[in-house]
Amino acid sequence: MSLFGSGSASPVPKSGSDVKAGIVQQLQQESAMNNARLLIEKINENCFDACIPAPGSTMSSQESGCISSCMDKYIQLWNISSKTYISRLGQEQKRMA
Amino acid sequence: MDPQTQMDISNLSEADKKDLSQILQNESQKTTIQQSVHQLSDICFKKCIAGRPITDGALSRSEESCAENCVQRWMDTQTSIITKLQSMR
Repeated sequence: MSLFGSGSASPVPKSGSDVKAGIVQQLQQESAMNNARLLIEKINENCFDACIPAPGSTMSSQESGCISSCMDKYIQLWNISSKTYISRLGQEQKRMA
Repeated sequence: MDPQTQMDISNLSEADKKDLSQILQNESQKTTIQQSVHQLSDICFKKCIAGRPITDGALSRSEESCAENCVQRWMDTQTSIITKLQSMR
């Protein structure tokens, strides 16, 4: 059932709480996977646009340096977005209450 | 879902099921928020960073405040759209 086939031969969980813990763990793993996949996709798209305007036959060191800087920038921007968005959500919730 | 997992789920007590449903709801909310952050980062990167050459990996102060403003104004936009739509009903 696992999307990314965690092929580890873990013993089959028996008790209800084992089953619960297993489901929660798998859920969180897949959620983290999905989050990382989205981040990679967005960085790939935006930094390719920003750093490789004219794809050559190889990637120049300038281009790969740009990709690395761009990635750093994107992650910092992601953290700012996250912080700002969540604090705004909190404010809105307070306003509604 | 494989039959083994389905059989296991029948071992869950009512309390476990309730618990699990709450956890599921929380995770789902977390995912929704994460996806919004991804969408906002994409939009705000295009607004605030793209278009100028990238010279180093640190955000400048103006890029930082641009990112904050971008998120805030995006939310304002959403709010005013909803307000206008409600007044049109």
